[in-house]
Amino acid sequence: MSSIAAFVDGPFWYFSLTVFVVGVLWRLIGLLSMRGNKELSQPRDSATGGVIHSVLSRFIPVAGSQSRIRVRTVASYLFHIGLFLILIFGAPHVAFYESRMLGFGWTPMPQWLFFLVSAIAFLGLIVLWLHRIMYPVTRSVTTASDHIATGLVFWVMLTGCMALGESSEFLRVLHLFMAELLLLYFPFSSLMHAFYWHVARAHTGAHYGRRGVKV
Amino acid sequence: MSKHRRYRRALRWSLLLLALVLVLPLVPYAVAAGGTQFNTPGVELWDAVRARVQGPMRTQVEGVQSNQLINYWGDQWRLFRSQLLVPIGAVMLLAMLGIITVFYLVRGRIEIEGGRSGVLVPRFSVNQRVVHWLAATVFIVLGLTGLVLLYGRYVLVPLLGPEGFGVTASACKEMHNLFGPLFPVAILAIMFSFGRGNSFRGIDFQWFLKAGGLFGHAMADSGYYNGGQKTWFWLTVLFGIAMSVTGLILVFPNFGQGREAMAVAHVIHGVVAVGFITASLGHIYIGTLGMEGAAESMTNGYVDAAWAKEHHNLWYAEMERAGMVGVSPNTMEEVKRHDDRDFRGFGQPLGRREPLDPTVSPPNRGPTGGGISPAATPSAPKEST
Repeated sequence: MSSIAAFVDGPFWYFSLTVFVVGVLWRLIGLLSMRGNKELSQPRDSATGGVIHSVLSRFIPVAGSQSRIRVRTVASYLFHIGLFLILIFGAPHVAFYESRMLGFGWTPMPQWLFFLVSAIAFLGLIVLWLHRIMYPVTRSVTTASDHIATGLVFWVMLTGCMALGESSEFLRVLHLFMAELLLLYFPFSSLMHAFYWHVARAHTGAHYGRRGVKV
Repeated sequence: MSKHRRYRRALRWSLLLLALVLVLPLVPYAVAAGGTQFNTPGVELWDAVRARVQGPMRTQVEGVQSNQLINYWGDQWRLFRSQLLVPIGAVMLLAMLGIITVFYLVRGRIEIEGGRSGVLVPRFSVNQRVVHWLAATVFIVLGLTGLVLLYGRYVLVPLLGPEGFGVTASACKEMHNLFGPLFPVAILAIMFSFGRGNSFRGIDFQWFLKAGGLFGHAMADSGYYNGGQKTWFWLTVLFGIAMSVTGLILVFPNFGQGREAMAVAHVIHGVVAVGFITASLGHIYIGTLGMEGAAESMTNGYVDAAWAKEHHNLWYAEMERAGMVGVSPNTMEEVKRHDDRDFRGFGQPLGRREPLDPTVSPPNRGPTGGGISPAATPSAPKEST
């Protein structure tokens, strides 16, 4: 193994993992410790009910905007579910978790399913990215950071796809390197929505639930 | 850096990449002239095995044709691939490149007569453009990786060495297999998004007779799609179906198909792929370098009114009558236009729009590209019909 590969496989992996874990914790703790204005009014309804309703109901777009964001909604589900399944049940990933992180593994998905799920995840990601660029509203609120984050996710997936044959050490190290770059970028980007989404929904739901407003 | 310069730079890089892809197939001939030899491992072993094969073998291994040690038909497939598909495919690709180059040198870029008007007309919706670029992305990935698998042994081995090519080929094979199942999805999306309005009509044959105005300044009448665009659409559908079916047979050998079926599928896959890529070069050329104002329809969804009037005069006339000429991109007006509609109803005889007023004639197509109403500018109020 070359020195670069050894570096990517060893020190750089632990460094990027540490930055990821500490960064995510730091941002989550920072978010949760933020204090808004104290509510002085009498609660008119249950904040807990608002949280539950808000967290669950937002899985489906509100009725008024369903038609105009149908493509994004479907593509988003395809991408996120596909990516989740690949990360958790992809055979190479399960082997990696067992050998490098956890010491135990679980039954991975068969290879044909892995191919299918990966293709679906790619489909979702490409459609989402294109729609972000083409649709005037999303285009106007997209920053360079969003494109970098999407690009990193795309390259991690693409290099993972390239390494599927498991015939080359170079391709495996390349995939790991891209994943490490993604881990480093993650806490400082909009990718944090992976940890924020339910917090944001819960906060909104509690706020309006307490006031007795149906959202 | 201005938007125009960025666009030109992106165009230059795209053309450079395209040229590289097209020139790479030349290398095998240069390599062959240099006398490079490729050693095929195990030739003697397999010659000995072939000499002992009399018929189907007995084996404990389960699987389709697992008792068949040597598939003689496979040799025919191999010879077809190496002696016909590879050289003829290279000739086709190079010939198309040559035709495009000669055409560009002789005809030059097809400019908008009289220049741009500065008035925009919406042409493709967001969903149509997403579908187009999805199909284009998948097509380019599959096309490039497919060309590496077909020509890489001749082109890349001398450049990267056997080990480097092994890594590249492995990566390309996996990408090709993984992106392959997306192609039928993209083709289906193309059919649904662009199907309406792509039936051939009488004026399309007149368009063919005038060669679409490629060789002169007399443009043929055209609705939303012209004859060339309709031809490309149907080629995409037919080639796409052939590529998808044969590709799925090849990439999922789980359904009991034998070697013969896969060899036939591979032959069709390879022949259609070369034809598809060759035809796509023409599409890419005319959509980017070859014609001023064409690429914008698929990038920002708008075309200049002078371009629309020159190349799709019947559609333009109906857009003008419908008050759809003159819009402001990046505004809520654009969002509303793009949310739930496309613009094919205009210029189609069986569209859902109001029937046309036959007393209103199409606007003149003079050399100045004039005839655009001042009322159609973004800042002026528009009259709706």
